[in-house]
This record gives sequence, C-alpha cells and structure tokens, in this order.
Amino acid sequence: MRITVLVLSGVIVALLGVLLGAWWTPFFVGAAFGLLIHRPAVAIPLGTVSGLLAWLLPLAAAQLRYGLGPTSVSLAEIMGFDHQGALPVVLTLFVGTLLGLTGAWLACAFWMLVRPQPR
Amino acid sequence: MASAPKRRPPIRSFINVAAAILVTAAVLYVAFFPAGPLPALGPTFNPTTGAWTMAADAQVGNQALRLHGLQQPVSVLFEANGTAHITAQTDHDLFLATGYVHARFRLFQMDLMRRQGEGRLSEIVGKAALDTDRFELQLGLLRTAQAEWSQLSASDPSRDALIAYAQGVNDRINEAEAAHQLDAMFTLLGYQPKPWSPIDSLLIKGDMTQTLNFTDTPLVMALLNKSLGADLTSEWFPVLPPNQQAPYDPGPYPKASTAPIETMGQVTDAAAQSADALYQRLAALPAGLISQGGASNNWAVAGAKSVSGGALLAGDPHLHLTLPAIWFQLTMDSPSYHVAGVSLPGTPVVLIGHNQHIAWSLTDAQNQQTFFYSEKEDKAHPGMYFWNGAWQKYRTVSYEIPVLAGQATHLDVKLSIHGPVISERGQTTSVWWAGNLPSQDLGVLFRVGQAANYQQFRDALRDWHSPTHNFVYADDVGNIGLISAGYYPLVAHGQPWLPMPGTGEDDVTGTIPYDQIPQVYNPPDHIIWSANQRQVTASYPYYIGTASNFFDPGYRANEIHRVLSQPGKLSATDMQALQTDTRDFLAAEMVPALLASLSGEKLTSTEATAVDFLHSWDYRMETSSVAATIWWHYWGWYLTETFQPWWKSRGIGVDMGEVWDGLTQDLETWTLRDPNNRVFSAPGIGSRSAGDAERKSFHKLIGDLVKMYGPDPRTWTYGRAHQRVLENVAHVTGLNYGPRPDRGDGNTPLAAGGYPSTHGPSWRMVVDWGTHSFQGVYPGGQSENPASAWYTNRVDTWWSGLLDPMLSADMAAPAAGTKTWSLRP
Repeated sequence: MRITVLVLSGVIVALLGVLLGAWWTPFFVGAAFGLLIHRPAVAIPLGTVSGLLAWLLPLAAAQLRYGLGPTSVSLAEIMGFDHQGALPVVLTLFVGTLLGLTGAWLACAFWMLVRPQPR
Repeated sequence: MASAPKRRPPIRSFINVAAAILVTAAVLYVAFFPAGPLPALGPTFNPTTGAWTMAADAQVGNQALRLHGLQQPVSVLFEANGTAHITAQTDHDLFLATGYVHARFRLFQMDLMRRQGEGRLSEIVGKAALDTDRFELQLGLLRTAQAEWSQLSASDPSRDALIAYAQGVNDRINEAEAAHQLDAMFTLLGYQPKPWSPIDSLLIKGDMTQTLNFTDTPLVMALLNKSLGADLTSEWFPVLPPNQQAPYDPGPYPKASTAPIETMGQVTDAAAQSADALYQRLAALPAGLISQGGASNNWAVAGAKSVSGGALLAGDPHLHLTLPAIWFQLTMDSPSYHVAGVSLPGTPVVLIGHNQHIAWSLTDAQNQQTFFYSEKEDKAHPGMYFWNGAWQKYRTVSYEIPVLAGQATHLDVKLSIHGPVISERGQTTSVWWAGNLPSQDLGVLFRVGQAANYQQFRDALRDWHSPTHNFVYADDVGNIGLISAGYYPLVAHGQPWLPMPGTGEDDVTGTIPYDQIPQVYNPPDHIIWSANQRQVTASYPYYIGTASNFFDPGYRANEIHRVLSQPGKLSATDMQALQTDTRDFLAAEMVPALLASLSGEKLTSTEATAVDFLHSWDYRMETSSVAATIWWHYWGWYLTETFQPWWKSRGIGVDMGEVWDGLTQDLETWTLRDPNNRVFSAPGIGSRSAGDAERKSFHKLIGDLVKMYGPDPRTWTYGRAHQRVLENVAHVTGLNYGPRPDRGDGNTPLAAGGYPSTHGPSWRMVVDWGTHSFQGVYPGGQSENPASAWYTNRVDTWWSGLLDPMLSADMAAPAAGTKTWSLRP
C-alpha cells in the first residue's frame, strides 16, 4: 500500500512538473524513489516508468486533442530525419525515460555508498 | 558492548556511483545544453512547452483575447483559407491588431528578416552567418532604418502606425512566451525573440529594397571591360537595348538638364583588381542579398477596352518563392483605411491591393540605384580620403556582432561622403546606394491605400525613393495609369556603369524630377504594361541604367504587349490567362531562324524528329511539350557556342550566367539582323556566320538530349527538364514544396526561370472594376507552422493558375469554416 501511494505520488508530481514546464521533474522524482525505496531493483524501474509516463501522458493528450502527425513529421524534417515522424516521438519518450532512470539510479548508487550493509 | 564496525563499501559500489554519475551527467548535459547538431533535448522535446506545441499552434479557433494597448474592441475574421479580415474602430487599433496577427502566424519569419537587416544572424546560427552580418552592417540597413525613424515627425501618422504595430507584435511575443507557444524554430534554435520595435519594421522594408535594388553590375562591367576591352564591352553590353522592346512610356520627353552620357573608357588594372576582389566577396554571399534582376508583371486595361466597361488591372510580382511566402493576405478596415491585398509580415500596411476606388500593383523598375566609388587615399593622410579638393576624415561606426558558441566580433565601418566603405582590398571602394537614403515608404503606402483617384495616388508616390517600382493603377471610373516612382540618380559626369573616382567630379548630384520620370495616364491605346523592361525609348534624355543586368531583356513585356494590343475587348478571364501565359516570345523569334538555318542540312532521324516537333510548336513552354525541351536546351547551347570561346580566350572572370540576359539580347539581335557579326567568329573558331553557329549548336544539342533523356525524342517532355520548388525560409529542405514539374521559363509571362525554378509569381491579383471582382492567390499559406493546414493550402490553386476571390469582411463572414477572434483592450 505504502509503495503504491509512493509510486502514484511520484508519477503525479513528475506529471505536474512537466505540465508546468519543469521538464526535469522526473529526474528528481526518480531520485526521490531511489532515496526512499533504496532497493535498485525496485526504485530504478519505478523512476524509469514515472519519467516515461510524465512525458508520455501530455504527449498522448496532445495527440488526442490536436493530432501530432504533421507536427511529428515536421520536427523530423527540421532535425534532418526526412519523413521519419516516429523518431521525434521516440526521442521525446527516451528523454523522459532517461531522466527518471538516471535520477533513481544516481540516488540508489549514493545510498548504497553511504549506507553500506553491516558486517 | 561496542557495536560491530561497519564494513567499508565494496568496490562495486564505487564503480556503480561512478557509472551513475557519468551516465547522469551525459543525460543531463544533452537535456540542458545543445550538443553538436542537437538542440537541448529537455526544453526542445518537453511535451507541454517544447517544440510539440506547434500542434496546438496549428489550430485556429474562435477566440476572445485581451491585447495590451488596444483602445477599442477589434474583430479579426479568418476565412477557411486563412485570409484575415481585421476590422477596427481606430487606425491605432487596426495597426496594433495587424501586428498581432502577423506575429501570430509569421513571428519566426519576421525575426529572421530583421536579423538579416540588422546583421544579427550569427547570434542564432553561429559563424556561418558572420560574413553576411558584416556585409549588412557595412551596407547600412540598420543605420538607414534608424535615420528613417528619427526623421519621422511626432505628428506623422506612419509613426503612430509603426508604434501601434510594434505593440501588437510584442503583445503576441509576450503571450506566446507565457503560453509556451513560440514557433518551434525558436525552441529548436534555443533563443527567444527580443521585443519588436518600429525600426525593425523599417529594416524589413530595407531587406526588400536590397533584394530588389542593390546590384554588383558596375563591378561586373569593370571586369568585362578589363578582359574584353572597352570596345567589345560597350558593343555587347550597351546602355540602350539592342533588341526590339516594348517600353510603356513612348514619350514625348522633356529636355534633360544634365550632360550627355560618356562613351566607355578603359578600366585600369588597379580598378579591375579591386572590382574583382569585391565582386568575389559579394558573389560568396547568400542568394537574395544582391539583386539578380527582377521579374514581375503588371498591366492595366482601360474601361474603354474591357468587356465589363470597367478598368482591369493585373499584377504578379516575381520573387523568391518561399514557405512561408513573403506575403500575408488580409483586409484592413478602420474609419480612415479600407484596404485589401497583401502585406509584408513585419510591416503595417498593404503593399499591393485595392481600396473602394483604386487598385494597384507593382514591378521593379530596375533603374541603376547602386554606384561604386574608388576613394583616393594617401599614406600621408591616414583615415582620410580626398574629395572636392581636400582631405576628408572618414566617419566610423562600430558594431559588436554576437556569435553563437563563439566570441563576439568587432566591426568598424568607415563612411565616406558617398556611403559605406565595403572593400579595402586594392583600392578602397565605397558604395552610393539609393536604399541608404532615408525614405518614408511605409507612409507613402499608407497614403496610397487612402487614395481615391489618380492624382492622390501620384501625389502619394512622389515621396517614394527606393526601390524604384512601376506602380500600375486602375480605378472605379475606368482610368488607368503607370508611374515608375522612385529615385533616379543623376551623375554629373563620368561612366556610372563602372566604379567611378570618388574625388567629387562623378558624384550623384540629384534625381530626375518627378514630372519627368517614366509615367503614363490613360494612354490612347487603353493599355499599359510593365515587366521590368526599360520603360522609355532611346530618345529619353536621361541615363537610367544599362541594358544588361539593370533592365529585363523585354521578352515578357513584349509578349504581354502582343496579347493586350490585339483587337477586341478584354476580360478578367483574359487577364488571368495572360498571367499564366507560357508563350516564349524569344522562342517565337529564334526557332524560325534556327529552322531556316537547318533547311538543306543533313540530319539524323533523331534530329529530323526534333525538327518536326519544332515546326509544329506554338512556342508554349508546357510540361507536355517536347519542343519546349529542345528550345530550352538549345538556347543555352547556342549562347555557349557563340560566347564561350570568347570567355576562354579573353580569360573573362565573370560567370557567363551573370550576364546571360545581356548576351541573350545580343545573340537575338545579331542572329536576326547581323548574322555576320564578329561575335560568331571567336578567336580560334575561324570565320563563320550565325547560321553556322546555330547548326553546330543544334547537332551538339541533340546528342546531349539523347544522353539526358534517351534516344526517343517523343519522351523529351518539358516536365522532365523543368521543375519548380518552393523553399522553406529556414533552409529545411524537407519542408520545401516540390520540386515538381512545371511550365514556363524565364521569358514567359508565367515566369519560371532557373533550374529548379525557385523564383516566380509570388502573388497574382486580377481586378475588374466593371464587375467589382477582385481575385488573388499566392503560393503557400498564411502560417509559417509546417504542421498547420495553412502552410501550403494555397499552392494547388496557384499552381493550376486559378485565383481565389478577395472578399471583404462582410462578404466573408457568412462563408463556411470562418473563425473569429474578438480582441479586447
């Protein structure tokens, strides 16, 4: 129960941050997961998923509201990827995912360093 | 009891931390900062405030908006195709709303244009634009715009218009920044637009002036003179056109008050070397900064010759075809201003259009407005030049040019009495350019928009300086007129088509009086036309430029005149057809001469088939025409066959393409009227006639076409040879339209020169005052956002030669698909 609340809270905070323009919020949410959960096997996937969701949900909402096809293709053209409209989507989700992942990983790694297992 | 000692962290924890730090640092770096070609990924791809907002920006719906600075509510109605109808209760609000609407759809384009004019492109694209910035700051668009602004009196209505317009643009900038809706290009390039100022609008006017009127022709003439000699240069590149043209103002003319034009003298080695250095520098600049000759059409038919009984007017200015287009279509209505037409984003007035009583359009007049001066300097007088019998001190202006990812560059610009020094390689060269004369052109356009008759129209244009334009006019009571308004520099002495000594004797001393510039009003044959041709006959008493590289060779004007002067009355449909006329006037003259030269010649079967196509050709450059392909290539071969040996033997340092128009006029003239001219017997070729050169060119051509298009001439359709492309202003080729096969060439009224053609009718307008019908279209769309339905929605209509109705706000309101913005203070 506690972890569910934690996860939901994290995703909501990350999402709100992104919605308000603070695109880096997933990094700190991931870091919070790392510091609060400690276990890399749990914290890192949670950070990753929260980052992904925080960037995916607004994108999905924009797709439903406006349709992102022409925008995606245009961005690909501007970036030199020809008509590969999927690439900006993948790149966008990748950035969000990496922010959450690295935040969680870095926090876990430091936690393990400063709080090693007793002998 | 002592607690057990803690174990030191295992080495893998350190490795884990190090790896986490490294990966995190890398991720955060590319997220926060640009890396190589990649923008900062975090802000760029942020789904709510990054480049993805172009999806929301592409939507235009009914909206109620509050705009800072408005005095009264304003209505903006958008037709389904994006045409905007702005209705305001005060002039101030009209211009403010226009600024807002322009910025809403074209802010990035506007920012690029002002940056070009003020020499600040390096700030957003880096060192690649540094030469452009240096040149622009030397040339002085920014100084001119600042001078124009400072000279505007507080009571001048155009001052209020510029201030209100800037307020509207800034309202949009503030709104877009707050809502994270700046154009995606700002996000991708990682910068935000600075506030708009009235000077920025004047800079954009300066950009257009430069594109249309700043020329390197005197440098080209100097290089030709040095390599060809004064004799051949004056024969091949004369002041008066050698071919038959159709000037619109046949005279009679007043007597000139200046000395007659001198004959061509020999250019010195030092002058030629300086000219070459500057020519090479200018040639390395991006396209559009140096005028490469205009190409626009306009004409009018008086009510006496029209089917409807009312005057007809047609206009299609030919410019670089871009996405977004150079134009934004709108109607502007306030108590004192009711105008419909096209505006330049960044400026507050309609440039081409109509009001309730008059319609107007313009083409470039092409007279010489750029003069180069070699300043006399001496080591004993550093920082000085000799002028009017005394040593004068250069004035100096300093600039800092910010450079993306680099150090700002310092630039000192020296100014002589003639203008800015733009080269110090060899001789110091300064340039006198009419575009540097402060000119209140926006105020002129404001008054043109308010004119109700020819007298008011002509009076308004009296203050127009540069670029010189052929303003065509037609009104609601059947009158027509054409006046080539602008500054016609008079040089007291010397050879203005070459760089001149800067010691004072050859200075620009004034301009041709307004009453004596080319103009006609209600001519007896009831038609007027301009297509960048020389406007006047050989008996015009003033020097206004040379035949080559200032004025057009005249084939479009000849064709337009041929069609308009045929017996019978003309309709708006005829105007529309003439705008898309693909008949090549030069081909109609030269193909019969080629066929005559081939009569009796032994031909291969492929050559005979090609001749058959030419025999049955109507001289129309249509995509399905085989003869059009043969002609198009043939003329290039014939020019090359005739002139290339001269270029090679004389070591001419000017690209032949630079003087193609001049050579074309020569070759046309000599082939038809002087077939034994010495030009056909180039050094190393031996004695021959035009016919010999034509036959040789034809044989070479057919071999060439077989290689390019295959052995069967029936497949050599023009659509395979000739294409057109609309280019994205940010040079993103993926956002271009085309290339796509298209008709026309550089000589046809439907202008499509070059390959692929990137230049052409940037706006087509047809007005029939008899039926009160107004139509127009431009290639592209109202929005610069490539995700918008209004990015390319007008292209198909334009491409097929059709026009859209230019509706008033009242007429547009009931139509399907309209959207309305209610703007409130």
